[in-house]
Amino acid sequence: MTTSESHQQRTPTAAELEDMTPDELATLAANLDDVVVVHNQRKFPIPGTRAEKRAERAVAGWFIISALAGLAFLGSFLFWPWEYVAPGEPGYDLYALYTPVVGGMFGLCVLALGIGVIAYVKKFFPDEVSVQQRHDGASDDLARRTVMAQLAKAGKDVGIARRSLIKRSAGAAAGVMGLGLGIAAVAPLVHNPWKERENSPLWHTGWRETNGEVVYLRRDTGHPEEISLVRPEDQEAGSMETVFPFRESERGDEEALLHALRKSDNPVMLIRLRPGTHVIEREGQENFHYGDFYAFSKICTHLGCPTSLYEAQTQRILCPCHQSQFLATEHARPVFGPATRALPQLPITVNDEGYLVATSDFIEAIGPAFWERKS
Amino acid sequence: MTTTSRTAKARGPRSRFRRRVAGAVALGIGLLAVGGLYAGLVPQPQVATAAPGDTAKVAQGEELYNNSCIGCHGSNLQGVQDRGPSLIGVGEAAVWFQVSTGRMPLARQEAQAERKPTLPQFDPHTEEGLANLEALGAFVQANGGGPELPAESGELLRGPDPARGGELFRLNCASCHSATGRGNALSSGKYAPTLDPATETDIYTAMLTGPQNMPKFSDRQLTPEEKKDIIAYVKSVTNGNNNPGGNPLGGVGPVSEGLVVFIVGLAGLIGVTLWLGAKN
Repeated sequence: MTTSESHQQRTPTAAELEDMTPDELATLAANLDDVVVVHNQRKFPIPGTRAEKRAERAVAGWFIISALAGLAFLGSFLFWPWEYVAPGEPGYDLYALYTPVVGGMFGLCVLALGIGVIAYVKKFFPDEVSVQQRHDGASDDLARRTVMAQLAKAGKDVGIARRSLIKRSAGAAAGVMGLGLGIAAVAPLVHNPWKERENSPLWHTGWRETNGEVVYLRRDTGHPEEISLVRPEDQEAGSMETVFPFRESERGDEEALLHALRKSDNPVMLIRLRPGTHVIEREGQENFHYGDFYAFSKICTHLGCPTSLYEAQTQRILCPCHQSQFLATEHARPVFGPATRALPQLPITVNDEGYLVATSDFIEAIGPAFWERKS
Repeated sequence: MTTTSRTAKARGPRSRFRRRVAGAVALGIGLLAVGGLYAGLVPQPQVATAAPGDTAKVAQGEELYNNSCIGCHGSNLQGVQDRGPSLIGVGEAAVWFQVSTGRMPLARQEAQAERKPTLPQFDPHTEEGLANLEALGAFVQANGGGPELPAESGELLRGPDPARGGELFRLNCASCHSATGRGNALSSGKYAPTLDPATETDIYTAMLTGPQNMPKFSDRQLTPEEKKDIIAYVKSVTNGNNNPGGNPLGGVGPVSEGLVVFIVGLAGLIGVTLWLGAKN
């Protein structure tokens, strides 16, 4: 902040500067910036006192704690038993402490380092009150005019004002780069779900028949590579099971087997009603069930949550997100909550080997509504 | 070759006797083998008949039934309209689950049969209670069969793979009971209960029998091994087993944890900031 006043105040000569001590030079620097030190009190005016030593040890102590905690973090991260142990089994307590120890040690390392720095500032930095003059308004006329003239002259000297080719090509380069960055940021958000036209994934699920292959119903046993197909006798009356599609061509293909279990529109609830339950079929879907077995998409027609809370007595299927309720005995039509459409029903039957199979994909799009959906 | 030469040498009345004995022994061995194979290979017929030694137990169970259950379930377990369902085919597993947890006898007709202190004569912690539960189970089992109690109990029902149990729990159970078995609301005042107080046998029999609104999980839908893995998982996350931080904060995941971090953490940060700016 060089102002005209401060220049007028004191402009030490070269000889005067030579004679100045470092302390005086520092004071001069403050004065040139219009800063006046009102009060500066050192914490330990007399060096080497017991109090100073104690303060020094305290600060060093925090740094040493930080270093030791860092070493402990490294050691526990590398050597602490981290593999899962069930509660009650030997070694569980040690295993259960893995995360707290690793996190605690790293946290202590960072925290102690910070506390050490702050303790140093608080214990050793002098108490100082300084006042700096505040300058109102714009810079004075002289400064403004000279600076503007300087800038204009610099522009003229390097010739950028005249060289429009360089100006434009540089602008093009910078603009294209900016555009590229913008596209890279936005493009992943832009998708065309209709690229595949009538084959669009919005209309079809993993239950769709491909290459004329039979689509079996398969359960998840917790081991994705294990294939456990569903037979009608597997389920008791009044039960529900989540099933996924399986094709013979996927046998042995671990990636495809896992994908079938994880694809978001695949889960289907296979419900076996109690014999004699009064059921109202949906028009045109009277032959979609097999005996007491009814298969409904698990994806809520409201916002796509998994609606797998099946109440065996009231035959209701609940969605946990917004409390929509569907009636399993009435083609899973909504009876409560924000959902407005019934859960799509998967047509199923039993093949001649006794396995439950899907006779086709869902006849409507599953899950929440979208613009192109007519119903 | 040696045998033929020997039989050729020892031909006579004595060898005939030996041959007869040998024939009888061979026939006996053959019959025993066929009988053993039959017994081993042909499955037991699924007919509910009480073993003769159980008659006394069934009679005792009938007495208990007539004292405590008959009002709602009827004199022949056929159920009573608007009071209680038929108990034919529910099996001893259902008896164990409903009675040992105090859900039955019902206090009143309402949305949900809640877990409550067990009737003293059915308290599974006493010898008498266990005997009574067994007798009542035998009586119900003798009238229509149904799911049976697992052979093991306690820690023996915990499978070796709680990680896979967790996978299966999240797929089959977590939608109602929440991922750490906290339980959750169902429709019209019903709810899925928390799994903290449930013993291994309770969980096993609940999966097998589907009490109240819970669906049934037969042994072909979830094999006994899978059920045991699920129990191992449940036991590893309930009863404070899943909170190395000291407090589970409801066990409902990021909602309560985030709130606590927001309030406690922010207050702590403000405190530190004030300390940093404070003058000595």
